[in-house]
Amino acid sequence: MSNTALDVGQTVVKKRPANLRNLAGRFFPWAILILIAAMVAAPVFSLVVGAFSQSRLPNEFSIDNMGLGNFYAVWVEQRIDLVLWNTAIYVIGSTIFGITTAAVLAWLVERSDMPGKMWVYAGVPLGIAVPGILHAIAWVLLLSPRSGFLNRGWMFMTGSEEPLFNVYSMAGLIFAEGLRLVPVAFLMLVPLMRSMDPSLEEAAAASGASPMRTIRRVTFALLLPGVLAISIFQAITAIENFEVPGILGMPVNLHVFSTRVFNLIENIGTIPAFGQANAAAVFYLFIALIISFFYLRLVRHSERYSIITGKGYTPRAVRLGKWRYPAIGLALFFLFVTIVLPFLVLLYVSLVGYLRQPSIDAFQSFSWKHYEAVFRQPRVGRVMWNTISLTLMTATTVTILSFIVAYIIVRTRFAARYTLDVLSFMPHSIPGIVLGLALFWLLIQFDSLTGASTFGSLYSLVIGFTILFLSYSVRAMSVAMIQVHSDLEDAAKLCGAPPWRVAIRIFAPLLMPTLVGIWIYVAMLSVRFISLPLILSQGGNNEVLGVMIWSLWDNGNINSVGAIGIMLMSVMFALALSLRIFGFGQNKGGGAI
Amino acid sequence: MIEIDNLHVRFDSDKGIVHAVRGVTISVAPGEFYTLLGPSGCGKTTTLRCLAGLETPSGGSISIGDVVVHDTDRNISIPTYRRDIGMVFQSYAIWPHLTVFENVAFPLREMKPKPKETEIERRVKNALELVQLSGYESRPAPFLSGGQQQRLALARAIVREATVVLFDEPLSNLDAKLRAETRLELRRLVKRLGMTALYVTHDQTEALTMADRVAIMRDGEIAQEATPTEIYKRPVSRFVASFIGQCNFADGEVLSVPTADTPGQMNTEWGRLSYSEGLDHTVGDKVTIAVRPENVWLAGKGIDDVATSITGEVSEIIFLGESLECRVTLGDSNLITRLHPSSEVAVGDSVGIIVKPNDVAILAA
Repeated sequence: MSNTALDVGQTVVKKRPANLRNLAGRFFPWAILILIAAMVAAPVFSLVVGAFSQSRLPNEFSIDNMGLGNFYAVWVEQRIDLVLWNTAIYVIGSTIFGITTAAVLAWLVERSDMPGKMWVYAGVPLGIAVPGILHAIAWVLLLSPRSGFLNRGWMFMTGSEEPLFNVYSMAGLIFAEGLRLVPVAFLMLVPLMRSMDPSLEEAAAASGASPMRTIRRVTFALLLPGVLAISIFQAITAIENFEVPGILGMPVNLHVFSTRVFNLIENIGTIPAFGQANAAAVFYLFIALIISFFYLRLVRHSERYSIITGKGYTPRAVRLGKWRYPAIGLALFFLFVTIVLPFLVLLYVSLVGYLRQPSIDAFQSFSWKHYEAVFRQPRVGRVMWNTISLTLMTATTVTILSFIVAYIIVRTRFAARYTLDVLSFMPHSIPGIVLGLALFWLLIQFDSLTGASTFGSLYSLVIGFTILFLSYSVRAMSVAMIQVHSDLEDAAKLCGAPPWRVAIRIFAPLLMPTLVGIWIYVAMLSVRFISLPLILSQGGNNEVLGVMIWSLWDNGNINSVGAIGIMLMSVMFALALSLRIFGFGQNKGGGAI
Repeated sequence: MIEIDNLHVRFDSDKGIVHAVRGVTISVAPGEFYTLLGPSGCGKTTTLRCLAGLETPSGGSISIGDVVVHDTDRNISIPTYRRDIGMVFQSYAIWPHLTVFENVAFPLREMKPKPKETEIERRVKNALELVQLSGYESRPAPFLSGGQQQRLALARAIVREATVVLFDEPLSNLDAKLRAETRLELRRLVKRLGMTALYVTHDQTEALTMADRVAIMRDGEIAQEATPTEIYKRPVSRFVASFIGQCNFADGEVLSVPTADTPGQMNTEWGRLSYSEGLDHTVGDKVTIAVRPENVWLAGKGIDDVATSITGEVSEIIFLGESLECRVTLGDSNLITRLHPSSEVAVGDSVGIIVKPNDVAILAA
C-alpha cells in the first residue's frame, strides 16, 4: 500500500509551524472575545460615566465635575417615572397585539385548511420591507385627527365632528407598533407550529382526551414556552423602537424611553442636556437588560420542551368549514393594511400636486414633479452614496464577524464560549438610541485623545450598526451551523483537507444560503434603522437616507417624503424578495444537513 | 501498523472532568482487521477519534505506520488532514452539496501533488465499482438510499488508498438484513485491498464475524483482547462473557485440579462438574464459572448418555425459530440451555444436565 499522503521526513519539518499555528489557534478566540467585549463594554462604560458628568457638553467632560445631579434631574424634574409607565403600556400592548395577530396568521397557514395559504405565507414576511418610519408616516397620513384621509372620509360620510381614530395617541402607538412586529413574530411562530410532532397530540387523543382537552393540555402546553420566548423577544424589539413613537408620540409629547432620551438632546429651543439624556438612557438600558435576562433564562429552560425533533411532519390540518373564506379574507385584509396601504398612501402623496384629500381633481394633478424635486436637491447624491456604502460595509462586516463568533461558539471547545455567546447577545438589549448616545460620548473622547476624526464619519455608523445587528446574526448563524453535522467537516479533514480548505469547500457552500440571508437582512436593517444615525449624523459626511426622510418630514416636506419613500420601499421589496429566493435554507433535499 | 500506547483522554464537561479513556494500549498488525467492542460510553469512539486526530488525547502516544502522529510527552500532534487514514462515519457524512462523483473525488483533489484529472476519474470509477455504485456518478448525494450512502462513504474512505481505514459504527443505521449482507462484503473488500482496519462497534455479531482480533472496552479500559473464538470461549470476566452472547454463571469450589488425562472436579451451585482447563487454581479455591447456553445439554436429548449428577426441572420454554431456549430450575439456581427446535421437552420435565469439561470457562476475577 502506498504511503502517499505523508512520510516521515515531512512530519519532522512541519512540527514547528504546527506549534505556532496551535498557539495562534489558542489565542484567536480570546482576541475575538476581547473584541466583542470591547464593542459592548466601551460604549456602555462611556454612557454610564457620562451620566455622572455634570458638564454641559460631552467635550467639556472632566473628572472633577461629577455627581448624581443628572439622575436627580431626570427622576424628579423630568418625571422619568411617567415615561416608564408609558413605555410599559406601549410595550405590553403592542407585543400582545402583534403576537396575537402573528399567532392567528401562523396557525391559519400551518394548521388549518385555509385556501390560498401560499399567498399569506409569502406575503406576511414582506412586511419587513416597510421601514418603520414610512410605516408610521403612512398611518399619520391616513389617521391623523384633522387631515388623515380615513378620518376625513369618515367625517365627510357620517357628518361627524369627531375623527374616527386619533393616531397621535397611546392606542395609535400600540396599533402601529403591533403591526410592525407581526412579520418577524410570524417567521418565528411558523416553524414552532410546524415542528410540533402530531403524534404528541394523537397520543393524548389515544389516552382518552377530548379534542378540546388535547389542545389545552398538550398543544398549548407545548407551545407556551416557545410563544413566551418569542413574545419577550418582540417586547425587546418594541422597547428599543424609536421610529414609531418618534413619529406618532413625540409631536403630542407622549413619550416613551427612546423618544425621551432623544428629546433631551434634540429638543428645538432648549439647550441639549447630555448628562440628563445619559442618565435617562441608563434607566432605559437597565430595563432592557432585565427583559433580556429573562429572555435568556427562558430560552435556556425551554430546551426541555424539545418540540423540535428535526423530522419533517405534515400535521393534520384543522378543517375550518364555512370559516375558510372569512379566514383568508381576514389574512388578505391584514396584508392589505400592512403592506399595500402604506405603499398606496405614499405613492399618492408622491404624485399628487399638493397635499389634499383623494378626489378626481387630485388624481388629475398627478405628476412626477416631486421626484424631480428630490433629485434636484444638492445633498441627495451624497446621501444616496452614504447609504449605499454604509449598507455594504455593515452587511459585510456583520456577516464575517458573526461567522467567526458563531464558529467559535458552536464548533470549538473554547473555554469561554458560553461567555462569548452571552456577550454577543448583549447588544440586542442595547436600544439604538442608547448606543447612539453612548458612541457619541465615546467617539468624542476618543477623537480628542487621538486627534482622529471618527466622530461624524460614516465609520461611526458602521461601528454602531455592527454592534446593534451582531446579536441577531450570531444567533441565526449558530442555528445554521448546528444543523451542519460536524462529521461533514471531520470527513473532509480525514480526506486530507487543511482547515481553510474545509471552510471553503464544505462549510461555506453548505452555509451559503445563511450567509446570503444574513447579509441581505442586515442590509435591510441598515437602511431601515434611523435612531442611531439620527444621533450620530453630523451633516453631509454621514447623513443617510433615513435621517434625510426624518428631517424632510420634520420640515413638513411631505411630498418629497412620499417620493423618497416609494423609491426606498421599491428597493426594500426587491431585497426582501431576493432574501426569500436566495437566503436561508430551502431544504433542497439535504437530508444529511 | 497502528500503535496506541497508554492513551488517556479527559474531557472538561458541565459535570466536571470525564476520564473517557484510561490507559488504552493497542497494537494492530499490517492488514489486520481489529475491532473495538463495547457498550456506549466505554471510550471506544473516543479512542478511534484520537487515532483520526479529531480528539486530542491528554496522555499517551499514537503512531500510524512509521509516523508518530501523537505524543503528549514529546508535544507532537499531527493534524487530521496530514494523517494517512480513511474513515467511514456512523452518519456517513456524505456532503449534500456535491455529487456522488465529487464526494469520492474529494480526497484525491486534496492530495499533494494533485493527480491529473484523468487519473482522478480512473480512481473514482474504480472505487465506485468496488462498492457497486457504478452509474450513480452524476447523482446528487442526498438522492441515494441509506445503503447506497453507506457504500459511498466506504468508497470515499478507500479511494485514497490510505494505509489505515477507520470505521465508526458504519452499519448501525442499516436495517438488519442489509447489515448482515454488508458485514461480509465489507470485510472481504478490506482484506482484498490489504488495508489495516480499526472498527468500532457495539454490536457483538459484527465484532465476532468481521474481526481478526477484538478488544472489549469498559469504562475507558480494555477488558479483554483476543481473537473472536478465544473471547467467546474463554471470557475473562462476567462483563465480557455477558456482553458477547448469553451466558450462565455459577459460583463453585475446586475439588481436584485437572491433569494431562483426567479432568478436574469442582462443586458448583448447580452440582458437581468436570472441567479441563484449570489455569493455576488449587484445591479449595472459590471460583466463578461461565457456561454458554448452547454448551448445556440435556441427558438423552442430542448427546450420548453420560453419567450426570445434576438434575433439574424445565420451568420455561421459549421458541426462537432456529432454536429452543429452555430454562431449567436447579434448586435455588437457574440454567439456560439452547436446544435444537425439534427437541421434545415440555415444561415440568425432570431432566439431567450435561456440560462437557472443555466448555467450562473459569473467570479470572
